[in-house]
Amino acid sequence: MRAAETVKLLFRGPTAIVAAAVLVVLIVTAFLGEQLAPYDATATDVSNRLQSPSADHWFGTDELGRDVLSRVILGAEVSLRVGAVAVGISLVAGVLIGLLAGYYGRWVDDVLMRISDVLFAFPAMLMAIAVLAILGPGSTNAMIAIGIVYTPIFARITRASVLSVREEVYVKAARSAGAGDLRIIGRHVLPNVTAPIIVQTSISLAFAILSEAALSFVGLGTQPPDPSWGRMLAEGRGFVEQAWWMAVFPGLAIFVTVLAFNVLGDALRDVLDPRQRQAMAGTGVTA
Amino acid sequence: MGAAMNRGKVRGHAVALAVIALVSAGCGGGDDVNVDDPGGDGESAGSGAGDNQGGDGGTLIAAISAQPDQFDPHKTQAYASFQILENVYDTLVVPDAEGEFQPSLATEWTTSEDGLTWTFTLREGVTFHDGSSFDSADVVYSYNRIIDEQLANAYRFASVASVEATDPQTVTITLTAPTPALLDNIGGFKGMSIIPEGAAEATDLATTAVGTGPFTLEDTGANGVTLARYDDYWGDPALVDSVEFQYVSEPAAALTALRSGDVHWTDNVPPQDIEGLEGDDEVELGVTPSVDYWYLAMNQTKPPFDNRDFRRGVAFGIDRDEVTEAARFGAATTNQAAIPEQSRWYHEYAPFEHDPDQAAELIGANAAATPQPMALMVTDEYPETVQAAQVIQAQLAEVGVEVGIEQEAFATWLDRQAAGDYDAFLLGWLGNLDPFGFYHAQHVCEGTSNFQGYCNPEVDTLLQSAAAETDQDARKTLYDQAAELIVDDVSYLYLYNPDVVQAWAPGMEGYEIRADKAINFETVRLPE
Repeated sequence: MRAAETVKLLFRGPTAIVAAAVLVVLIVTAFLGEQLAPYDATATDVSNRLQSPSADHWFGTDELGRDVLSRVILGAEVSLRVGAVAVGISLVAGVLIGLLAGYYGRWVDDVLMRISDVLFAFPAMLMAIAVLAILGPGSTNAMIAIGIVYTPIFARITRASVLSVREEVYVKAARSAGAGDLRIIGRHVLPNVTAPIIVQTSISLAFAILSEAALSFVGLGTQPPDPSWGRMLAEGRGFVEQAWWMAVFPGLAIFVTVLAFNVLGDALRDVLDPRQRQAMAGTGVTA
Repeated sequence: MGAAMNRGKVRGHAVALAVIALVSAGCGGGDDVNVDDPGGDGESAGSGAGDNQGGDGGTLIAAISAQPDQFDPHKTQAYASFQILENVYDTLVVPDAEGEFQPSLATEWTTSEDGLTWTFTLREGVTFHDGSSFDSADVVYSYNRIIDEQLANAYRFASVASVEATDPQTVTITLTAPTPALLDNIGGFKGMSIIPEGAAEATDLATTAVGTGPFTLEDTGANGVTLARYDDYWGDPALVDSVEFQYVSEPAAALTALRSGDVHWTDNVPPQDIEGLEGDDEVELGVTPSVDYWYLAMNQTKPPFDNRDFRRGVAFGIDRDEVTEAARFGAATTNQAAIPEQSRWYHEYAPFEHDPDQAAELIGANAAATPQPMALMVTDEYPETVQAAQVIQAQLAEVGVEVGIEQEAFATWLDRQAAGDYDAFLLGWLGNLDPFGFYHAQHVCEGTSNFQGYCNPEVDTLLQSAAAETDQDARKTLYDQAAELIVDDVSYLYLYNPDVVQAWAPGMEGYEIRADKAINFETVRLPE
């Protein structure tokens, strides 16, 4: 499949375009957070607390007088960073495990997949909390915890694809031509199992960001006073009657981000799945 | 400027999605505390209590924020447990709302000339909830249980040589040194309750209760606890038939239940809600200064926190008014020492004006690094510590201390405190009456609560002599001197005395909000 063609198909519908645009805005916001934020996100001013949204503070101020808009903007960086690193961890570890298990089969497969099954058996949040209980709270440890939790999904998806790819003629041909295992895995197997992994990455980013928010909400993720959407939601909860803006704006940010990643993930799935793609492309394009 | 342009962009994007935000906010609301439950359970509890007496005092439903860990008065240290036990057990003497000790199970007491022998005359005609009668053997058994098993409150008997039953109505306590705080030690709170002789062996006191108080402990469950009026109570029987404590951890749920009449009383009122409740006709609000205090402690076994001048620099760098306002929304009084100004033991002493220049100078000269890192341990069990910490962080950043906030679960927090694994922490002390309770165990060199590692022999001498001084004025002078040293050395960096905040149904009569946060429903009458 050609990348240009995939992108073209992907952006045929408006939903994927909107989702991608939202994500671009978010990524830019995350990178330029310090410049975009109108105020220092951790500067407290108790005499100016719980101000409702106004020209000075578009999203109002929180219980310590901090600007909610600035905190939402800087929270984007925290959320995306934790999401990206966590998914990076599960992507690398999961794909590696999946490749080994799928390619070698037999006892390697049994051992690796049973371990994955054990990890799968725990509710994701419970396991993340358990990992953080051992490592101690903090955003770095939250990345590790979320990374561990989502590793088995990548392992399973990769393994499933590898199982079919390793029986392909070109793999057998490479083997009979004397190629080593490493070369076969790297050159012939991996490039042909990327589609489901890309889809899973996009969807996992959404879940990882949601997990970070949940962990911060219960106090195990990002530590005060750093802005994190989940943390802001937790702080805002105690002030719903006095200051709705404290919870609504970070809640909105989580909602938009997670929705954007999910929509993009769905669109990618539609495009990268060969059968779907045939249907979408109609007769004009050959897959 | 570029920033302004981008601001506009972000805002526009948010407004477009505002409709969705309302939906997400609604879903993300909060925990699922079942506020419908009180009504249902309340009915069954009411009819159960009615069987005994056919009374129509009704069932008082109280929403408390935390769940008791157990019901053994000698072993629990949880305030939630004492909220309930206050109504079930009695002590020999009991503090009134002003903190003066009044007769309870003891009707009178005398002190020998040398102050070493205290003789208590016990009340006659008192029966425990199991029907057995109360006498001096029960007092001896209860106190010896605390002493012999070295329970948490054993330190309150540090100067007690023996507890003896002279006759069934008389108990004699012999001391190794005069102990003017003895009444507070044996009656300051329900941790010193009298249980029947042999009760700890005969029953499981963690789940049941055999007291002499106005209510009996009936059902204990995951959602709450039911008490029933004890009709053979030695005092005037309670006016309500039963009391039901519900555990409601969400303040919003507790207030909603109070407004709708599902509960009659709650202490789950965060300080930020006070302003909104003041004009609320559906809620009676009680706010009164407490005897609690909140403080910051630095680990004095670790450099540079072991350096007195460094600690003094931190003390100058903190603006208590701002911290107090941030943490308590005005429902507190700043204090540089422990004892609140309503107490007769109050000593006005405030040497630390907020002075960033002096702070920066003292910290700069004594810090191990620039800026000096300081990990500040807080717990979401007490959200006010998290709020205070963020303000302290901002204040100390200006004087050369880089505070890193570490928010821990309370169990982990306590472990780390006990292990000395911290730079600094924020916490409070609850419910002290006598200066012995305010200062002794926290600041003598080998004190059981001296986690910060403070040791000043001069303070030790003053506190030891104060503990044994029987002349009240002389005793206060000694405590005043000790307090000044403790403040000057920044053993604790005292911040404020919070107010007690409680709310109850309009028309509920006979309830008294107290500085020591003891919650007693003995004389309460429900609204019509």
